[in-house]
Amino acid sequence: MPKRRDILAIVLIVLPWTLLITVWHQSAITPLLATRKVSKTHPPPRIPPDESCSLQNRDIVEVVRTEYVYSRPPPWSDVLPTIHVITPTYSRPVQKAELTRLANTFLHVPNLHWILVEDSQRRTSLVSHLLQDTGLNYTHLNVETPRNYKVRGDTRDPRIPRGTMQRNLALRWLRETFSVNNSQPGIVYFADDDNTYSLELFEEMRSTRKVSVWPVAFVGGLRYESPKVNTQGKVYGWKTVFDPHRPFAIDMAGFAVNLRLILYKPQAYFKLRGVKGGYQESSLLKELVTLNDLEPKAANCTKILVWHTRTEKPVLVNEGKKGFTDSNVEI
Amino acid sequence: MAARMKLKLKTVFVLYFMVSLMGLVYALMQLGQRCDCTEHDLPKERTISRLRGELHRLQEQMRKSEATKQPQKQPAKPSLPTIFVITPTYARLVQKAELTRLSQTLLHVPQLHWILVEDSPHKTPLVTDFLAKSGLSYTHLHTPTPKDRKLQEGDPSWLKPRGAEQRNEGLRWLREDRRAQQGADSQQGVVYFADDDNTYSLQLFEEMRNTQRVSVWPVGLVGGMRYERPVVEGGKVVRFHTGWRPSRPFPLDMAGFAVSLRLVLDNQDACFDGDAPMGFLESSFLQGLVTMDELEPKADNCSKVLVWHTRTEKPKMKREEALQAQGLGSDTAVEV
Repeated sequence: MPKRRDILAIVLIVLPWTLLITVWHQSAITPLLATRKVSKTHPPPRIPPDESCSLQNRDIVEVVRTEYVYSRPPPWSDVLPTIHVITPTYSRPVQKAELTRLANTFLHVPNLHWILVEDSQRRTSLVSHLLQDTGLNYTHLNVETPRNYKVRGDTRDPRIPRGTMQRNLALRWLRETFSVNNSQPGIVYFADDDNTYSLELFEEMRSTRKVSVWPVAFVGGLRYESPKVNTQGKVYGWKTVFDPHRPFAIDMAGFAVNLRLILYKPQAYFKLRGVKGGYQESSLLKELVTLNDLEPKAANCTKILVWHTRTEKPVLVNEGKKGFTDSNVEI
Repeated sequence: MAARMKLKLKTVFVLYFMVSLMGLVYALMQLGQRCDCTEHDLPKERTISRLRGELHRLQEQMRKSEATKQPQKQPAKPSLPTIFVITPTYARLVQKAELTRLSQTLLHVPQLHWILVEDSPHKTPLVTDFLAKSGLSYTHLHTPTPKDRKLQEGDPSWLKPRGAEQRNEGLRWLREDRRAQQGADSQQGVVYFADDDNTYSLQLFEEMRNTQRVSVWPVGLVGGMRYERPVVEGGKVVRFHTGWRPSRPFPLDMAGFAVSLRLVLDNQDACFDGDAPMGFLESSFLQGLVTMDELEPKADNCSKVLVWHTRTEKPKMKREEALQAQGLGSDTAVEV
């Protein structure tokens, strides 16, 4: 008899707790469901102009499109975090073309600040004029990578990965311009001048708190490389073939850093020398963040929003030794 | 003693049970109520929706500021000639990237209509979805290149003229579409053939907009030179500065000229000859339309380069191919 009582007592104790645990588990999910419901009643996100006028007649649709198009760059917002895009560049025949189409992309992005760093002794007029003509918010810097005089031609020191000194200069500029106590929100993104960026990418990175990551197409000899994201939305590895055990097996175009983090860790720079191929990104990121802190974007790293395109070097055979075309004409 | 112990234990248990029950009831009541979402809400979600709201507000602001600017500007917009851009495209790894950055340029140009023609027997979902999201005014066409005219794997790019059938299809649609349109405005416009891997400055489109017959300008990075261009003397084109076969009727690149819509409609048979020898594709179209002295030089008497014949490298897929051989290729559901 006492045994039955004990059993009854134990059941009476355990039952409410199990019920409570299951209830709390459920309640952990329902706020998310509630959020989804709430967000649906919010104003619909990012109405592209044509969608909002789909009910009206064709003429007005065209006019709205034209209006969207005319205003460039978009007006500055006091609320949106600024995206500081750091682009190293160097003189070569396709430079003006690359910067032109990159500028055409950036002109669609609100609150974008372009930090263009030339690999040159002096700031060239080609780049200065281009930047002025675009109307973008920009900063024009330059630093020359030391040439390797032992090798013939215009080759740079092969021990220093291309663009490193330029990116580091930009980081230094940011740290000198913005103070740690500065509350202006900003995101830092390293964009090379020959890649292709979708407009969606910039909106994805705007909400970076520490370091956000996403897949990049055409790197590492694959269709795309991507961070591995688990069901809890945390990055736990890298889906690459080339050395997936790097601390951060990611391309320069595959991550963005919150400006606050850059300012908070003023010693973090890209390592100049002694960096193995593919480890450049890690040399910076390991000073800033751990794997656990990474924020996956692009639908938990399942969408491609940036492509690591490379432009062919134009064959200038017909120029000959003396140059066939007028060198005063800028290309 | 034992009985009292048991009694005490019993009260403890009962008390425990009552407390648990009350806690449970409280939790259940919380569940029933409207949840205070700001606590459970991931701050990320909140920031995202706030930013989206901000973006929406900015776009509204942009529209309003343009609306107030309208009375100051001349009412030239309705009569702004439309630029019809005909772009042939074909499926390859970099296709989506190329189209993305081209569309980002075209989005800046007012009164532009993009005619994208796929080299394909049917419309592909990649291009269909892309165009729908692009925000551009467009027409999506397709026509496959006949097998004997198609470049094979390993062929150099200059072996056979590319895109002829697709450009002709674009012209065919344009002529048919304009026939159905009413009004003088519908006959006004310019036709430009833009390949999906070139680079275009925004100024170029404004230069070509008022083409009366055929306008021309320099093209950078083409013909094995820094640029190719028509040579202008006294406001007229007298010859062409090119390093390769300057004796062609029109030694121009496809990106170096634009034709007025009027001329295209008046010459219903003018089209590109897919069998033309290398480098003569442009000439095959322009020959019947215009003579050299009728050409209108743009870009500051053909002294500025506003378009570049860039080409994109084929991405190296060695590791991808190795993985695919093992059956471990990347997820094809992810569109690249």
